[in-house]
Amino acid sequence: MNIRKPKRAESVIPTASMADIAFLLIVFFMVTTTITVDRTRVALPTSLERTEVPKDAAVIAVEEGGVVHFSDGESESRVINMGDVLPAAAFVIEKNSLKWFVIKADGNAEYQHIDRVMEQLRQANVRNIAMLTGQESVG
Amino acid sequence: MKVEKRHSEPEIPTASMADIAFLLIVFFMITSVFSVTRGLEFQLPKNEQDNAPPDSQEEAIHVHVLPAGADCIFEVDKQQMLLSDIQIYIEPKLARNPNKFVIIDPDPDAPYRCMVDAFDELKQAQVKNISIPTAAEKAAWGGVI
Repeated sequence: MNIRKPKRAESVIPTASMADIAFLLIVFFMVTTTITVDRTRVALPTSLERTEVPKDAAVIAVEEGGVVHFSDGESESRVINMGDVLPAAAFVIEKNSLKWFVIKADGNAEYQHIDRVMEQLRQANVRNIAMLTGQESVG
Repeated sequence: MKVEKRHSEPEIPTASMADIAFLLIVFFMITSVFSVTRGLEFQLPKNEQDNAPPDSQEEAIHVHVLPAGADCIFEVDKQQMLLSDIQIYIEPKLARNPNKFVIIDPDPDAPYRCMVDAFDELKQAQVKNISIPTAAEKAAWGGVI
């Protein structure tokens, strides 16, 4: 008598859902990605009190040595002279008087640099500013 | 003779779908930056009318931030105190007058993070009126600080 061996089921790794997983990840990254206008690397100071800053705010980045980067919130930031913050800010304020300005300064920068930036922003009639901070760890 | 026609079933090739998708994932992973968009809000005074010391200026609490090597010293109303003690010092004063003015006066050579630390403490103490006068403003006030 001829006994047939049962057919072996071929081992298959199901890959049909691979694309679904991948697209889910794509959607996640597309939603969370924000196009940053300023990529200056600074060691932000930390604070416990932190509020959300409007996304289209103008950015003034101050490096530790006092180098200033400026972005109007739409175009990429560029290095400007410390004394040119006033005309640059005034130009932005002319278009939108309630524009938010974000000061993204290095925590180790001397305060006099930030003071000069703040003074020029005040002269340019800027009202709303936010000092960018990192999350302070509790304890 | 009968020639058998073999019908191949129509299908859309989806084998490369995952490749394309993963390529897109890699692209977004590399280009995405989880931007820090949180910070401390601050209202600058109006250029013309507000450019005067607060009315109850002599009543205001002065927080001096002085550099000390890599760190800072905080002097509140000329008393040196730890950062954590500032809230304890301010709270009873704030209970008496919730609109109490607090002036932060950082030394030009003090690190920026120390000013942020002081500002953060005041925000946590629910101080409504915080003023950070610039050097030019202080000069205009005539050295009242």
